Amino acid sequence: MARYGFVIDLKRCYGCYTCTVACKAENHTPQGIDWAKCVPAEIGSYPSALRQMLPLVCQQCAEPACRDVCPTGATQVDENGIVFVDPDLCMGCKTCMMACPYGARQLVSEFQTYFPDAEGDLDPYEAYCKKEWEEKNGYGLATKCDYCRDRVADGKQPACVEACPAKARTFGDLDDPESEVSILIRRAAGFQLNPEFGTEPSCYYLPPR
Amino acid sequence: MTATSTQVKEDVWIHTSCGGCYAQCGIKAHRVDGVIVGLEGDPETPAGSGRICAKGTAQLHTLYDRHRLNYPVKRGNPKKGVHEDPMWERISWEEAMDTIITKLQNMKDRRGCYFQATTVQTSEIRFAVPAFMRAFGFNNYWVSGGGLWCGNGAHFMNGITHASWSIIPDWTHNNYTLYFGCSKGHGAGHAALQSAQWVADARARGMKAVVFDPYLSTQASKAEEWVPIRVGTDAAAALGMINVILNELGVWDAHYLKWKTNSPYLIKSDGKYKRDQATNKPLIWDTEDNRAKTFDDESIRDFALLGEFNVEGEQCHPAFQLLKDHVKENYPLDKVEEITSVPVSTLRRIATEFAENAQIGSTITIDGKEFPLRPSAAIFFRGSQGHVNSGWNCLSIDLLNHIMGAADVPGGAMGHGPPVCHGHPNTGKPETIPYACPDGLMIVKGWVYDHKPYPLREPHAPTRLDLQDMFPSSIYNAFTIMSPDWEKYLKQFKIDYEPEIMINFGSNSVMTMANAEDITENFLKKFDFIFSFNIYQNEFTEAVADIVLPDCSFLERYTPCVTFPSTFCHPTGMDHWVWQIRQPVVEPMFERRDFNVVMLELADRLGIKDKYYSVINDLIPVRYGGEMSEKYKIQPDGDYTWEDICDRVLKDRLGDDNGLEALKKTGLVKWKTKPEEMYWRWHVPVRIPIYFEFFIDGGQKAQKVLAEFGAEDWLDLRFYTGLPNWFPCPSHTEKNPDFDLWGFCWRPSFHTQSSSQNNPWLDEISCNDPWVYLIQINEDTGKKKGMKDGDWIWVENTVGKKIKGPIKLVQGLHPEHLAVAGCHGHWARATPISKGKGQFFDDLIMIGIEYTDPLTQGTDACVKVKIYKMKEGER
Repeated sequence: MARYGFVIDLKRCYGCYTCTVACKAENHTPQGIDWAKCVPAEIGSYPSALRQMLPLVCQQCAEPACRDVCPTGATQVDENGIVFVDPDLCMGCKTCMMACPYGARQLVSEFQTYFPDAEGDLDPYEAYCKKEWEEKNGYGLATKCDYCRDRVADGKQPACVEACPAKARTFGDLDDPESEVSILIRRAAGFQLNPEFGTEPSCYYLPPR
Repeated sequence: MTATSTQVKEDVWIHTSCGGCYAQCGIKAHRVDGVIVGLEGDPETPAGSGRICAKGTAQLHTLYDRHRLNYPVKRGNPKKGVHEDPMWERISWEEAMDTIITKLQNMKDRRGCYFQATTVQTSEIRFAVPAFMRAFGFNNYWVSGGGLWCGNGAHFMNGITHASWSIIPDWTHNNYTLYFGCSKGHGAGHAALQSAQWVADARARGMKAVVFDPYLSTQASKAEEWVPIRVGTDAAAALGMINVILNELGVWDAHYLKWKTNSPYLIKSDGKYKRDQATNKPLIWDTEDNRAKTFDDESIRDFALLGEFNVEGEQCHPAFQLLKDHVKENYPLDKVEEITSVPVSTLRRIATEFAENAQIGSTITIDGKEFPLRPSAAIFFRGSQGHVNSGWNCLSIDLLNHIMGAADVPGGAMGHGPPVCHGHPNTGKPETIPYACPDGLMIVKGWVYDHKPYPLREPHAPTRLDLQDMFPSSIYNAFTIMSPDWEKYLKQFKIDYEPEIMINFGSNSVMTMANAEDITENFLKKFDFIFSFNIYQNEFTEAVADIVLPDCSFLERYTPCVTFPSTFCHPTGMDHWVWQIRQPVVEPMFERRDFNVVMLELADRLGIKDKYYSVINDLIPVRYGGEMSEKYKIQPDGDYTWEDICDRVLKDRLGDDNGLEALKKTGLVKWKTKPEEMYWRWHVPVRIPIYFEFFIDGGQKAQKVLAEFGAEDWLDLRFYTGLPNWFPCPSHTEKNPDFDLWGFCWRPSFHTQSSSQNNPWLDEISCNDPWVYLIQINEDTGKKKGMKDGDWIWVENTVGKKIKGPIKLVQGLHPEHLAVAGCHGHWARATPISKGKGQFFDDLIMIGIEYTDPLTQGTDACVKVKIYKMKEGER
């Protein structure tokens, strides 16, 4: 039993979008669906302006608003605190999308190829991705990041954590005060995004400066 | 919808090397039932150390992209030109090869052949390109983007002062880095992922970075301080700061300057060394014995760095005195502020911080050995070198390192990749240790090009179609071949053959040098026949190729060594040396064939295979340090597949146990680095110039050659001096006030030159990014012009060339500038994902002698522009 969480160090992150692509490659999310979005923003004014990347994942709230409103019970929390969606129960009603204050839920309504101008059958890789997606998920679902539950169950790190060139991401058990994530949060003033939403995110950020 | 997994017959991981950019990170490819379904970093290698970036992962789509070229084609439309529809017709390999061989055999003069190659697949070009060139008998060569994307200025200058391709801070120990127009550690291909980790560690540790750049780039955003600077004025800023350090603070590493540079060499009033009459060696002044001695005299007790000395009736100064006086006289801070727009107080403060952080006199012990510790570094790359002052911009910045003794020692600026390698324990190869010329100055060993950065090339009557061999430095230029007067020049310089056939490997030169029209009309259309190896059709092939051959991607081919020569991309810092290979994770699909295999077949069918093999034997010691053993030499009368050749190279360099079969299992061989290899400066008995005496001779000799052909006005000899300077680009001297913005391009960390834009994942990122596909100008500037976000504008240069696009008003840009992400705005029919997205900045870049660095023949990439809103209907 654990409460898995993320620490994303904004000082180490340099905004290369590797997490976004690593997530797509791992989870085979269809065209336009990004579970690990990156949102860059310009802050301040010339000449002391800054450009800061905000890498997002599902905040994996301890009190998930998306679960509370889910009419079918499709949104569930596993024994390690990971909020996941049971594709057999989700009916794509989008209530969770409205409830989630972090915009983490994304509706996948149908398959769209990345190569709409190409002739012929899907290429072997896209066909593989489609098959994998359909076997694990399907369409008409309000999907989201599940911290790569399958990988974690195999003892691996989530794909975005493993790929990050700057090692800006750390994954671990927030309930264990000696875990790397707990130590980082304590030592480097880790903070949650908009804690006032009251959902108790398991994703923490370390300040950029 | 529960999982119903089908029977999996195969599930394997193959070790190989990424080819998404030139960093060559080690990766593992996951193959399931014959399909590659995942790419991950290989934790066994320091080249990436288990990480893979967005570009690398996205290569899954490039491998299988349905827009890729799968069959040989020939041009159906005889008309050539930018935007022409080539009307490709599919042909067989047999027809393609027969046509190519007939064309090559029927050439009027084989010297009229021209090889053009991409800089992305760097290790692929090491064998086939030079082997074919020499075996077939021509010396015309050009890498796509040469001089602009690639480093005429940066590589050659770093070769002179660091024996390497580039410079990078020693992030493990560095506390203070000045960045000038480069993104090392922030997505640049220079050991991209290892550098990203090390710089993130350094940042977390408290390293301070200061970035001089007109644009708030990724690295500027991560730095403690962004210093907006007028584009192309880097040398002025660097020389101003050197002035502060030498003349205001009075700080320098005297021990380093005396023993590791030519600072004490005595210079006569004509700018040349005062030489010993008997030995011809440069003289220095021994301050203890009060007399001149040769620089390497064993009796020297101390060197004079300052002063004036009379030697045999001639007044001489140590080179260092001249540098110190030169910056004092010519680069006072108020003048530097006027040139760069950086305030005097900022320059003074940063110079002071840089000098303080160098901790001159401090040492550090690594693995039981003591080294100087100099935790300050100044680095640069394309942003600094893409100007008329290319060479001197690079050298001026690098001199900041050398006056502090912060070169190739812990904490300082390091030659990247590491140039000093003692070799694999089995074989002692590759062994690359720089050595000294008779004047004591460093000569690099293990260089990618035949012509080393130092000593300079002996200028002679040109033999090449770009006439580059009459210049003393660098390897190619654009201003000759892309000129409307090219044919006239060839006559003027008595080149007695013509351009006939171009072989292109992977390059998209129509988009990677300057405006597409000039390169196509003036240069590419002058060839009778062009055949090209490509994975995609692109703007180049559609404009001018006659036959296009479907090449393999990096996941479908063998390459025997991707991390060597180490000077190119090997990670720099204490870890391991790694020799990585590239191997096919899947067999080539459709009718794709590997470039190296096809070139071998061409050599065979042309009857030059024996020479081709001989050249490979000759090249290996030059590129990969150390003679070939007789056992593994390629026998000229033998018959080898490309895999045989790979196997021999590997066994020769790494030992009998490390042939191709062994490396197919591991993908790599690694061995520990020694501190005296990485921090080699005090362990290799060479000096480097802080005074560039040899440029004077080089310029004069080149001028003499040019004069023989009535072209003495081609070379501005003000650039050929011993001391560094800042010289303006045409953009800096533009008088017309309508052209009130400097335009330049920047590179997003998730794209590789012109090759990545059709990748759907990278395109998806680009579409979501607020800057990549838009034209940026400073918000105040935009508002003064009555512009707002989303307005479509024309950007026009001083000769009427235009690009268009939607505008984005930003804070992260110097108010006098306009920024566009480079190499976007594709128009090829075959790449619909990238088509029409972003802007093609290079269309504003002009070619000509006035836009060319006289010292390195690098091309100026900044332009003065005016902007105005588009009219209704113009979009």
